Amino acid sequence: MDTSQLKQELVQLLGKDKVLTQDLDLMYYSYDSSFLTKLEPAPPNAVVFPKSTQDVQKVVEFAYQNRINIVPRGAGTGETGGCIAVQGGIVMDLSTWNEIIEIDVKNMQVIVSPGVIHAELNNELAKYNLFFPPDPGSSMMCTVGGMVANNASGLRAVKYWATEPYILGLEVVMPNGDVIITGGMKARCIKNVSGINLTKLMVGSEGILGIVTRIRLRCFPKPKARGIAMAVFDNLDDAPAVVMDVYQAGILPSGIEILDSSAIKAVNDFKPQIKLPDAEAILLFEVDGNPPSVEYEGQVIQEVAGRKARTVEWATEPKRMAELWEGRSVTAAASARVRPDGSRIFAGEDISVPISRVADTLRALRDLADQHGIQIVNYGHIGDGNVHTAPVINPEIPQEVEKVIKFVDEVHLLAIEMNGSTTGEHGVGAVRRAYAELEHGKAVEYMRKIKESFDPAGIMNPGKVF
Amino acid sequence: MDFKKLPPVQEQLMKCVRCGKCRSVCPVFAEVGIETTAPRGHVFMVQMLRDGKVEPTNEVYERLGQCLLCETCSINCPSGIDVHELNAAARSYIYDNNPSVGKELLFETLWTKPAMLRSSARVMSAAQKLGLQSLARKTGLTKILPGDLKEAEQMMDNIPSKSARSRLSEINLAREEKKYTVGYFLGCGTDLFSPNVAVAAVDVLTRNGCEVIIPKDMKCCGLPHIANGKIETAQKLAAHNIKVLNAYDFDYIVTDCASCSSALSRKNMEFLFAGLKIEDAALALSEKVLDLTVFLIDVLDIRLPQKKTAEKIRVTYHDPCHLANAQLIKDHPRELLRRIPGIQLAEMKAPNTCCGGSGTYSTTHYEMSMKILDKKMDNAMETGAKILTTCCPSCIMQLSYGCKRHNWDVQVLHPVELLSRYYQS
Ligand SMILES: Cc1cc2nc3c(=O)[nH]c(=O)nc-3n(C[C@H](O)[C@H](O)[C@H](O)COP(=O)(O)OP(=O)(O)OC[C@H]3O[C@@H](n4cnc5c(N)ncnc54)[C@H](O)[C@@H]3O)c2cc1C
Ligand code: SF4
Ligand code: SF4
Repeated sequence: MDTSQLKQELVQLLGKDKVLTQDLDLMYYSYDSSFLTKLEPAPPNAVVFPKSTQDVQKVVEFAYQNRINIVPRGAGTGETGGCIAVQGGIVMDLSTWNEIIEIDVKNMQVIVSPGVIHAELNNELAKYNLFFPPDPGSSMMCTVGGMVANNASGLRAVKYWATEPYILGLEVVMPNGDVIITGGMKARCIKNVSGINLTKLMVGSEGILGIVTRIRLRCFPKPKARGIAMAVFDNLDDAPAVVMDVYQAGILPSGIEILDSSAIKAVNDFKPQIKLPDAEAILLFEVDGNPPSVEYEGQVIQEVAGRKARTVEWATEPKRMAELWEGRSVTAAASARVRPDGSRIFAGEDISVPISRVADTLRALRDLADQHGIQIVNYGHIGDGNVHTAPVINPEIPQEVEKVIKFVDEVHLLAIEMNGSTTGEHGVGAVRRAYAELEHGKAVEYMRKIKESFDPAGIMNPGKVF
Repeated sequence: MDFKKLPPVQEQLMKCVRCGKCRSVCPVFAEVGIETTAPRGHVFMVQMLRDGKVEPTNEVYERLGQCLLCETCSINCPSGIDVHELNAAARSYIYDNNPSVGKELLFETLWTKPAMLRSSARVMSAAQKLGLQSLARKTGLTKILPGDLKEAEQMMDNIPSKSARSRLSEINLAREEKKYTVGYFLGCGTDLFSPNVAVAAVDVLTRNGCEVIIPKDMKCCGLPHIANGKIETAQKLAAHNIKVLNAYDFDYIVTDCASCSSALSRKNMEFLFAGLKIEDAALALSEKVLDLTVFLIDVLDIRLPQKKTAEKIRVTYHDPCHLANAQLIKDHPRELLRRIPGIQLAEMKAPNTCCGGSGTYSTTHYEMSMKILDKKMDNAMETGAKILTTCCPSCIMQLSYGCKRHNWDVQVLHPVELLSRYYQS
């Protein structure tokens, strides 16, 4: 079908307000937050904005009958080109369908349409003393649908894990237009082991198995208290050792973050007034819960970390907590400004390694960066071994781009070598699919079989994951 | 001006990582939800324009023109990108390279010639009183007011018949021992639509030891021109003002208008004149410029005598984008209000979200402007305030229209008007 006919048909199906057809407008859907699409933006043939399951179903049925690719999209904050029509087709932007359908306080769950923004959901839930714990750094902008598709998580994953355990059920429009409900058609229960767990299969499938149109998710009671500890280390190896010591002492903080010397320098250059101590590593622990337990856990962390750290400071007073945390909260911005003529890029940014190998990984990353002559800033969620590396280059200089692409490749290989994964939270999308065989071996064949049985026409977000 | 060599284009475009943080704060995107209105979308389009992937067409101008230039995205961008400057630079590039993008009379002539602008306002005001709407239309002035013509006329029914300039002398002596010689930058908006603000400002300043000089020969600050892609005109206007103002020996140059102070700020001077001969003179001028509320608090440290008769009144405050975002000034206007006995400051929700006025935006994008205004009014009305204050004539105009639209019977004033009233009470 030629593109002008495609556009006409879509307008007929949904009405002109829900379809973008002008080439100029389509260009705006050629990127997400990935470095790949900054280098090679890929505009779709049309964009649709469904506002109901029926809208989605109509478009998917049409795409299925005509063998046209269809690519779901949330807010486009993914780092992997996941929501980009890399092989052409229709982009389905679900971010304008943003309804909190029901907050079922009695059953500790909430039902939302896919476009609801994570932070906005939590603002609503807070009115009922509830919250949806996974907390991606993109909370203010990413959609819950995008979180489900990427199984997103954040710095509190240490205690609260990723999106997946909170998803009780989904409505999904399958690649042939069928609508299914996972987790029980009428279910409002929390525990459920009935049937093959299609919910689990859909969460993290990055939009290649179907389009999520409704999400039933579990909420937790909102903790009443919080505390922050900052520990400063002269020896990088002591940082992961202390993380283990804290766990051994029976404490599960909500988050444990690490800044290595590159990040400390970046933060101090960017905002000297923060005055992070000059050190090999800084650990930030966040504890939450009830006031007495937070106080107790804080004391234990202070004592345990104090054995190896140069200094440890513990705070529960909001102003001091914010000050201690500030170094971490400005890391992303600081890495963006390491070079006045450069920019941090999102590539190779999300490897995950065993906690015991975080220090080795950080050192290896620095060596790799030196070898390639690339500046990097390292930080991450050490509590679960997720390392964020921010290469800083001038993306407009082709030689630098070439260098960084080689560097990023080696970063991914390093992750696998360290018994880790190429991605801890951002996903595979179009940028990491080359590593699928190496990482998963024969399992990829079975992933393909699942994909083929769900999507025999191969129209659902092709060119992603493997 | 070579678009590709402008500092924001050269240094900042590449820094955008498309993270989308700016999407979550943009008032226009909040209404539309389509990436073509997202700040990151604008950054992307500016890059396409720079790289020659799109031509400087009317369509591209239209997309970029949906932006209010409220700067909310810029102050929230983790990469430190001045999204609004990129947008303005791109509009200017299109304007220069595409003869069919409207070169309206208004910006090129009327708004660059203060006398013509003032006489148009007078003709218009008189014409309205006589019901001669078509005459009013001919002045072209309705174009700079909120709404399409019909709506604009509605809002114009209380256009002051006398401009501030006609009510104030050029030199206003200090009424107590002189501390400072202050140049008062009288912006077009204040002069024509909120003359009472200027009168109040001069009253307060002269009471507090300032000799206030309102230089005769000043022109528009140029901000509306920047917003509409006419950077060369803005440069000409600024160059003129620099010459006029630098000829005096002012201790400070003060303005009540957020847009004017941001136009005269160091940042904007650098944007307009970086690398040009006039840059030093421009920066020397900007060193002296202060927003009126900052001057009253930081320099004069104004303190008011308590009066038993001080009436208790609930007041809310709207942050103009050009003050809160462009200059990060939020505390001073509030502090000034707090220092006026009897005033209870009731904060509205999202006080620094744009009111949708943004100079000429309300005319060029009426419907969008009204959607944003309606949200603002809901938040303002929720406070139960009796007076709505703000520090920008464009916001005053837009909010006054909002009050009318929502049948909300309150006054919209600059804080200095309350201060002056208190002195006089
Ligand atoms: C500054 C920044 C910080 C970030 N921090 C984190 C972090 O801490 N943790 C983390 O996990 N991620 C993080 N991310 C990555 C990203 O924000 C998350 O993966 C997020 O969940 C993506 O949501 P989105 O709405 O933007 O989805 P998009 O980017 O639009 O899409 C992501 C994927 O989901 C699919 N998809 C979207 N909606 C649907 C749907 N309804 N049905 C089926 N498939 C769908 C798309 O096809 C695509 O494959 C960050 C990104 C940025 C820019
Ligand atoms: S916030 Fe800044 S870096 Fe992020 S998308 Fe917007 S302009 Fe780009
Ligand atoms: S300046 Fe304001 S309106 Fe324009 S893109 Fe930025 S936030 Fe949106």
